[in-house]
Amino acid sequence: MDGVYRLNYQGLEDLELLAKIGDQDREALATLYERYGRRVFVLAVRILNDPVGSEEVTQDVFMSVWRRGATYTSKKGKFTTWLFSIAHNRTIDELRKRRRDRSRENDDIDDHLNIKSNDMSPADAAVAQSEYAKIRAAMEQLPVEQKNVVELSYFKGLTQTEIATKTGQPLGTVKTRMRLALKKLRTALSAEMGAQV
Amino acid sequence: MTDSKDNTETGAGMDARFEDFAAYALDALDSDDERRAVESLIDSDPEALAEFNELFETAGLLAIAVPPVSPPSHLKANILKLAAEDSAPTTIQSAPAILRPAFWGTRIFRSGVAVSATAAIAVLLVVGALGYQNSQLSDEIDTLRTDISVEAVAVATLQSELSTTVTDSETKVASMKSDLEAMEHEFGATTEKVVQQEEMVSKLAIANDALRQALRDQSWLTYVAMKEGYQVESWLAGSQQAPAQSEASGLIAVKVVGNEAVFQVHSLDQPRPGFAYTLWLMGNGAPRPVAQFEVSEIGTATVPFLLPAPLHYYSSVMVTQEQVNEIGNDPSGTMVIFAETN
Repeated sequence: MDGVYRLNYQGLEDLELLAKIGDQDREALATLYERYGRRVFVLAVRILNDPVGSEEVTQDVFMSVWRRGATYTSKKGKFTTWLFSIAHNRTIDELRKRRRDRSRENDDIDDHLNIKSNDMSPADAAVAQSEYAKIRAAMEQLPVEQKNVVELSYFKGLTQTEIATKTGQPLGTVKTRMRLALKKLRTALSAEMGAQV
Repeated sequence: MTDSKDNTETGAGMDARFEDFAAYALDALDSDDERRAVESLIDSDPEALAEFNELFETAGLLAIAVPPVSPPSHLKANILKLAAEDSAPTTIQSAPAILRPAFWGTRIFRSGVAVSATAAIAVLLVVGALGYQNSQLSDEIDTLRTDISVEAVAVATLQSELSTTVTDSETKVASMKSDLEAMEHEFGATTEKVVQQEEMVSKLAIANDALRQALRDQSWLTYVAMKEGYQVESWLAGSQQAPAQSEASGLIAVKVVGNEAVFQVHSLDQPRPGFAYTLWLMGNGAPRPVAQFEVSEIGTATVPFLLPAPLHYYSSVMVTQEQVNEIGNDPSGTMVIFAETN
C-alpha cells in the first residue's frame, strides 16, 4: 500500500507539502525533493562545477526547507522562486567562499557539465529537457552582452562591479544590461511557458 | 533581440531607483549596504515591490536553464536521514515575518546569524518594534539550532555506543554458536563411537556364545566318544562336487554299539529364511535324509541321528538347504557339502 500512500503525496500542492513539513512529515520533504531536488542540484553543479560540493549545497537547501518551510506563505511569492532563490544564494555563497580560498579557473560556461542524465525517467527527462530548452532558447535570443552579464552573475557568481571590471564596461551599463536581460527573458518566457512566469 | 545595439541598452525609460533590482535578483550586488537599500525601497514602495517581484521571479527561472541531469541516487536518502536526525522543524508564528516579501525571508535564510543580526538592526530603523521582534526570534532560532546540534551529537554518540554494543553482542553470540556447533560435532562423534563399541560388544557376545556352544558341543562329543563308545568314522571334506566358495567341513562319529551317530559340521553360512540344512546319506539305494538342523552364529552344529544302515554301506554324504519340514525324497536345494565317506 506504500505506492498508494506516495501517490497521495504526489497529488498535494507545494504549500500543502510545506504544511506537512511543519508537522515533521519527512514523506512531504521527500516529495518536494522529488519535484525540485534535481533542479537545485544541477543549478549548484552548473555554478560550482563540483558534484560533491553540489550535493552538500542541495542538502543544505532542503534542510533549510525542512527547518523553515513552515514559515513560508504564498505572500512571499511563488514557492519555486523562493526555493531557487535559497538554492542560488547558498550556491553563490559557496562559490565566493571557494574563490576567497583559491583562484578558480574561468571555464567556459557550457563546457564543464560532465554529469550524465542517467537516473531520470523518460517522462521527467522529456519535461526537464523541454523546460531547459525553452529557457536556453530565450537566453540565446538575448543580445550577447546581456546574455554575458546574466551568465557571469547568475552562473559564475560575479558581482556587478566584478563584471564591469572583467568586461571593461561602465558599472551603469552592466546594471542596465542585467535589468534589460531579465525583462526580455520575462517577455520571451511569458509567451513560451505561460503561467510559470 | 540579437541586436547588441538595441536602443534599450541605454536603459531609457527606466526608473533609476530600480537600477540595482536586477543585480539583487541575480545575487550580484557587491555589499550588504546595497542589499539593504533595495530591501528598504521595496518595503516602502509598492511600485518598487512590483518591479522587484517581476525581476526576482524571472531570475528564479534561470535555475531551470541548466541541462537536465539527475542528482546521485543517494542524495535523497542523505537528506531524509539528516531530517530524521534533525529535531522538529521550527514554526515561527510571528505574523510580521510572514508578511514580508519573498526576497526578505530568503535573505535572512541565507545570511545566518551575523547577517540576521545586521538585518535586525536595519529593520529596527525601518519598522522599529517589528525588527526588534524579528531579532528576538532570530536569537531564539539560533538558540534552538544550538540545542538541536547538541542533541544531535548526543544522539549520534548514543547511536554509536549502541552500535558498538550490538556489534559486540553479535560477535559473542557468533562465537558461542561456533563453540556449540563444535561441541555438538564432538558429541556426535562420541555417540557414533559408543554405538560402534556397543555393536562390537554385541558381536563379541554372540561370538562368545557361539564359542561356548562349540565348546559344549566339542565337550559333548569328547564325552560321548570317551564314555559312550563313539568313534569317528568319517571325515567330511569338500569334494569337487561341493561349491567352490564353501569352506564347510565336518565329521561323523558312530557309536561302537548300536546305530546312533553324530554329525558335526563347521563353517556353514546361515541358511536362507524358511530353509534349514538337511543331512543326506547317499550310495545305498535312494538318498536318505537323516537329520535337519540349524547352525550356530559361527556356522557350527552337532547333530545326533540314527543310521539306517552301517555307515560303510553309504558312499557319500551330502548337506543341502531344504525348506523347513518339507524334505522330499531327493535333495533338491542348494548343496553346501558333498563328501565321500572314508
